[in-house]
Amino acid sequence: MPFAQLVTSGIELAMNQLLKLDDDSQQRLKKLSGKSLQVTIKELPWPLLFSFSEQIDVRIVLTPDSDSEPPCEPVDCLIELNLETLPKLKDSSQLTQLIQQKQLSLIGDIYVAQTFSALLKDLDVDWEEQLSRYTGDVMAHQTFTTMRTLFDTAKSQIEQGAIELGEYLTQSDSIAVKPSEMIEFSRGVSDLRSSTERLSAKIALLEQAKKVDTGLNN
Amino acid sequence: MSGPDTNDTPASTHTSEPSTHFGFKQVESSQKVNMVKEVFQSVAAKYDIMNDLMSLGVHRLWKRYTIDCSGVRAGHKVLDLAGGTGDLTAKFSRIVGESGQVVLADINDAMLKVGRDKLRDKGIVGNVQYVQANAEALPFPDNSFDIITIAFGLRNVTDKDKALASMYRVLKPGGRLLVLEFSKPSNEMLNKAYDMYSFHLLPKIGQLVANDADSYQYLAESIRMHPEQEVLKAMMDTAGFEQTTYQNLTGGIVALHRGFKF
Repeated sequence: MPFAQLVTSGIELAMNQLLKLDDDSQQRLKKLSGKSLQVTIKELPWPLLFSFSEQIDVRIVLTPDSDSEPPCEPVDCLIELNLETLPKLKDSSQLTQLIQQKQLSLIGDIYVAQTFSALLKDLDVDWEEQLSRYTGDVMAHQTFTTMRTLFDTAKSQIEQGAIELGEYLTQSDSIAVKPSEMIEFSRGVSDLRSSTERLSAKIALLEQAKKVDTGLNN
Repeated sequence: MSGPDTNDTPASTHTSEPSTHFGFKQVESSQKVNMVKEVFQSVAAKYDIMNDLMSLGVHRLWKRYTIDCSGVRAGHKVLDLAGGTGDLTAKFSRIVGESGQVVLADINDAMLKVGRDKLRDKGIVGNVQYVQANAEALPFPDNSFDIITIAFGLRNVTDKDKALASMYRVLKPGGRLLVLEFSKPSNEMLNKAYDMYSFHLLPKIGQLVANDADSYQYLAESIRMHPEQEVLKAMMDTAGFEQTTYQNLTGGIVALHRGFKF
């Protein structure tokens, strides 16, 4: 089975489904109509080619088999990056900074990369609305309200748990030190370092003075 | 033009009519076009769903691979020959954009109609042209297309050498032909399993879904009669194509042949 095509098929399907769920995305996609963007992710064996029309088509860029075979098709913008940098592309304003930091290599029209980045970042899907199409408004609202409550409860429980664990470790069994003790210890280390440096400087001065005296006596 | 061992070149019989194969049957060449036409008239309406069922959806990945190998870009003129229900045309149309053009050609008007309706329902209009055409005598001027694809169509053509020569004629210098077609699995075990599937299960699926076991029996037989990888490559070379290569997909159940006109 052509595995690469399975991957691009999945990416294409996911992207276009998400775009369909956001009514405003078509307007933003129009800005890219007719453009193409090649993304080379260093960890992947093949570059991905995004072609924009009323939807996004994702393909694999295959390198020519021989010198006489025509070269790969030209694209409007070509970016090369590693997986670690990929999430940072969500913020299009960071592109220039990433290029300066050499985390991203870009050839061609930066507008294409910025618009594509903004297209994904600005996706606004009303998941409650989507669910209501299948379950009705009441059920969808109740489901999302329950999920939000569960999420908030879980979040506060985790935060509370972290605080209690910290207190247990520092107070009951003294496994860890309190923040105030840590600050005091750090201050003590700094003082010791300063004293040591002063003493070292004094010794150096005394040694220098001794050398001068010995030289005069000789 | 005479081709290598294709079992498909018109030959003399005791009736002095040129003959060719239709599946495992030997028929007069003049009859094959109509017989193939009847098969596809019969399956046109259920063609897509049957393709998905028979290949478990993998035919979509084979077609994607074909497009990846095509080097298509905005402004190109593409001929999707035997394009059927327009799977390749849909994607080509979006990629070539307003400045390009895709011609969906098929000898069968029923398939063409299904393809046209499907693409229009998807909003694919403007840069797609529909042409009923015989691959052996393409009704286009010389050097017209940047890319020609024929996916799962060549095995139904009566005179494949003539069709390849016709494709070569209408392809622009620098252009490429991509032939996606069922082929011979490279592994003997897979070959046997594939035979079992094709001759026992496939006609039953055809009967169940499309109420037409005969057409799917023909499909299985026509695949076995189609020239295998090296033979088709040689036929493309003979037609004038250069840099001809092929890539086996899914163990050789399908092969993608590629050739250039320089």
